Amino acid sequence: MAAAERSLPRLLPTLLVLGLAALLSLALSVSTGSVAINSGELWQVLNGGGDALHRTLILELRLPRSLAAFATGGLLAVAGALMQILLRNPLADPYVLGLSGGAAVGALSAMLAGLGSAVVSGSAFVGAIVSAVTVFGLAHGTGSWTPTRLLLTGVVIASGWGAVITFMLAVAPTENLPGMLFWLMGDLAYARSPWPALFALLGVSLLLLPLGRSLNVLARGPLQAAALGVAVKPLEWSIYLTASLLTALAVTTAGSIGFVGLVVPHMLRLLLGNDQRLILPACALAGGTLLTLADTLARTIIAPEQLPVGVITALLGVPSFLFLLYRSR
Amino acid sequence: MRNIFSPLLWALALFASLAGTLHASLVCVKDDTEREICLAAPAQRIIALSPGATELLYAAGAAEQLIAAVSHSDYPEAAKALPRVGSYNRFDLESILSLQPDLLIGWHSGNPTEQLAQLEALGLTVYYSELRGFDDVSRTLRRLGTLAGTEARANAAADDFQQGIEALRRQYQHAKPVPVFQQIWVNPLMTVNDEHLISEATRLCGGVNVFGALPRLAARIDHEAVLAANPEAIIAGGMGEDNRSWLNDWRSFSGLLAVQRDNLFFIPPSTLQRPTPRLLDGTRLLCQHLDTARGRR
Repeated sequence: MAAAERSLPRLLPTLLVLGLAALLSLALSVSTGSVAINSGELWQVLNGGGDALHRTLILELRLPRSLAAFATGGLLAVAGALMQILLRNPLADPYVLGLSGGAAVGALSAMLAGLGSAVVSGSAFVGAIVSAVTVFGLAHGTGSWTPTRLLLTGVVIASGWGAVITFMLAVAPTENLPGMLFWLMGDLAYARSPWPALFALLGVSLLLLPLGRSLNVLARGPLQAAALGVAVKPLEWSIYLTASLLTALAVTTAGSIGFVGLVVPHMLRLLLGNDQRLILPACALAGGTLLTLADTLARTIIAPEQLPVGVITALLGVPSFLFLLYRSR
Repeated sequence: MRNIFSPLLWALALFASLAGTLHASLVCVKDDTEREICLAAPAQRIIALSPGATELLYAAGAAEQLIAAVSHSDYPEAAKALPRVGSYNRFDLESILSLQPDLLIGWHSGNPTEQLAQLEALGLTVYYSELRGFDDVSRTLRRLGTLAGTEARANAAADDFQQGIEALRRQYQHAKPVPVFQQIWVNPLMTVNDEHLISEATRLCGGVNVFGALPRLAARIDHEAVLAANPEAIIAGGMGEDNRSWLNDWRSFSGLLAVQRDNLFFIPPSTLQRPTPRLLDGTRLLCQHLDTARGRR
C-alpha cells in the first residue's frame, strides 16, 4: 500500500497534464465542424464579435455540444471506476447493473408515444432511477448481500430490459426506428444543455476527493477495509448510489454511449497505478477528453453526414487499451 | 379397353393443359423486378404486404379483392379494418396461407427476402413492387388493375395522377429555383439526397435540394450543415399528420434566410414520402409553398 499512497502534491502534475489535454480537446472540438472557421474568426467570436453565422455555430451549437460530450465522458468514466471498485470485478462498467437498459426503455417509450425530446430525456432519467432502485431493493433482499449478489441481480435485470428493448424495436413503426437506434448507440445530438452533467461531474470529483483513501482500502477487499476501520456497508451503498446517479445523468444527456466507462478507468490504472485519489479525478478528465475527441471525429469524418459516437470511442479506445495491456505484461 | 382409351385420355389431358396455358396468358404483367407474373384469372383474393401496396390497391379499384394487409396500413380509412398478417418486415406465414390468397403484393426492398421466397416455394404468386418515382406510381396502378381485373378504374386513377403531375410540371418548369432543405426526421436530424422521391417532387416544383449531392439516400446531418447551406425554405414533415414542432425548433436560428422570411412549411409526411397517388397532393402543396417563398423575395 505504501507504494500506491503517494502524497497529494505528487499527484498534481499528472492531473495538470490531463487537464491541459482536456482543454486542448475542447478547443479542437469548438474549432472544427462541417463549416470551416479559422482561428482568427474563432477568436473574434469568443471576444463577443465576429460574423453572425459563426457566432451561432460556435456559441449555440459547438460549445454546448462539446461541453456536454466532455461532461458525459467524465461521468461515465468516474461511474465505471466506482462500479469496478464496488463489484471488485474488472469487467464492471456503468451499465453492467442494467441502468442503461432502464433508461433506454424509458426513452424509447417516450419516442414511441411521439413525445418531444425534453420528455424523452426525462423518461430516460426516470427509467434509469427505477432500474437502480429495483436492483438495489432486490439485491438487498432479506438482509445479507454481497457484490456477487448485486452483480447477478443487475445482470439479470439488464437482460430483462434488453428483451423489452428488442420487443419495442420489433413493434415500432419504421419511421421511428432510426431515432430509436441512434439513441441506443448513444449520440450527443440529443444533448440539450450541458450544465447539469457538468456541475454533477465537478461536484462529484470534489466530493470523492476526501473518500479516496477509504476507496483505496475497499478496493483491496471488504474484510481488510473493515479491519482498518472503514464503515464498509455505508461506503458501498454510497458508491452504488453515486455511480447510479452519475450514469443516469450521462445516459439522459447523450443516450447509452458504450466503452468509455469500461476502458478509461483500466487505461488510467495501467498508466498511473491504482490510487483512487488520483484515478477518480483523472477519470473525469480523461473520460471527458476521449468523448470530446470522439464526438468531434464523429461529426467531421464524413461531414455533413454524422456517425454515431460509440463507433469512434471503440475505434479509438480498443487499440490504445490493447497497446497498454500488452506493454504492461 | 385400356389401350383404346389411353390415347384419347392423353389427348384430353393435353387439350386441358393447353387451354389452361392459353387461359393463364389472359392476365400477365411484369413486376418491378422484370419478372412475368401470370394469373389463370384476375385475382380475387389479394394480400398487400406493405402499407403503400394497400393504398395503391384501393386506388386501383381493387378494394373488394383485397382481403388482408400488414400493420400500419392506415389509408384509406377502410384499410384500418382489414385483417392483419403481421408487419411489413415480419409477416405471419400461417395466417397468409390460411387466407388462401391468389396474389401477394410484396415490397422488394422492404419485405424479408426469405419469407417472400418461402411463400413462392409454397406455390403462392408474388408481385414484387419497388416504386421510386412518379412514373412508377401510374405504372403500378395500371399493372395492379390488370391483375385484379379492375383496369377501368385503375387506368383512370393512373391517368388522373399522370395528368396532375404533368400539369404541375408545365406550371413550374420555368419557375425560379428555390434552395430547399427537406427535413424528414428530427432526432437525429435527417434529410434525403437527389435520388429520393421527395427530391423528384422538389425538382418538379422548381426547388433545389441543398443536400442533393450527399451519397446516401437518407442521410443524418447536423444543424451546422443546415446553417452553412442557408436554404431559402425549410420543408418538414413531423410526427403525426399535423405537428409543426420540428419547424418551430428552427426559429431560434435567426440567421437563417428561411427563418427571416418565415419560409418554414409543413407537409403531411404520408403525402410526400409514400409513392402512392396521394403524392400528387403532397407535390401540389410543396409547389404552392415554394411559390409562397418566391413571393417573399
